[in-house]
Amino acid sequence: MTPPVRVLLFATAREAVGRAELLREVPAGGVSVAAFLSELLREFPQLAPATRGSRFVVNGEYVRGRSGRLVPGDEFAIHPPFSGG
Amino acid sequence: MSVRVSRLPLRIPRAYAELEDRSSGGVVLFVGRVRPDRSAGGEVGALFYEAHVPVAERALRALEREARRRFGARRIVLWHRTGNLAVGVPSVIVGAAAPHREEAFAAARWMITELKRSVPIWKTDRKRSSVRRGRTASN
Repeated sequence: MTPPVRVLLFATAREAVGRAELLREVPAGGVSVAAFLSELLREFPQLAPATRGSRFVVNGEYVRGRSGRLVPGDEFAIHPPFSGG
Repeated sequence: MSVRVSRLPLRIPRAYAELEDRSSGGVVLFVGRVRPDRSAGGEVGALFYEAHVPVAERALRALEREARRRFGARRIVLWHRTGNLAVGVPSVIVGAAAPHREEAFAAARWMITELKRSVPIWKTDRKRSSVRRGRTASN
């Protein structure tokens, strides 16, 4: 059994889904960030507004747009615009 | 520790102690607190702060390095608290010790501005269930 991708949701993304974390299976060969995100939006259509203007993070590193790949065991985070301070 | 994102309360005397440096003639300590903003939903009593902690701490360390390089700051504190914080409670401490006051003020001002812009931390007014954008609940 392959480990799932751990999805971390913050702020508007967390509120849209109602959870801060999800676990999702991906194929052993991996999947593109764009395809993974599309699947997530099919499951949670209400997440769409929060993803506009968000940046995406794979294993702690920002990806350019929706580029990059996810393999089993990766961590994927959605970062809406920041508001700390 | 010069950089920290955690649920632990922010203790101002400890931040000042962290900035101890005999060669620094100027120490600036900025404390951002939860502000009782009025809104459509009434007055804010508390805000919820969340962070992507490892990424946020790495971003803060980058700010620390850059503040040392740009302003010659000798000691730096960048502490942010997470969790539910009531009005008046410190949410962030930014401190800089430098040889002269100008550099200490400039470093602290630059760091709080950059922190808000580039560090993955978010505040939410849970009563209104909306995430604040482009507004500051503190300072």
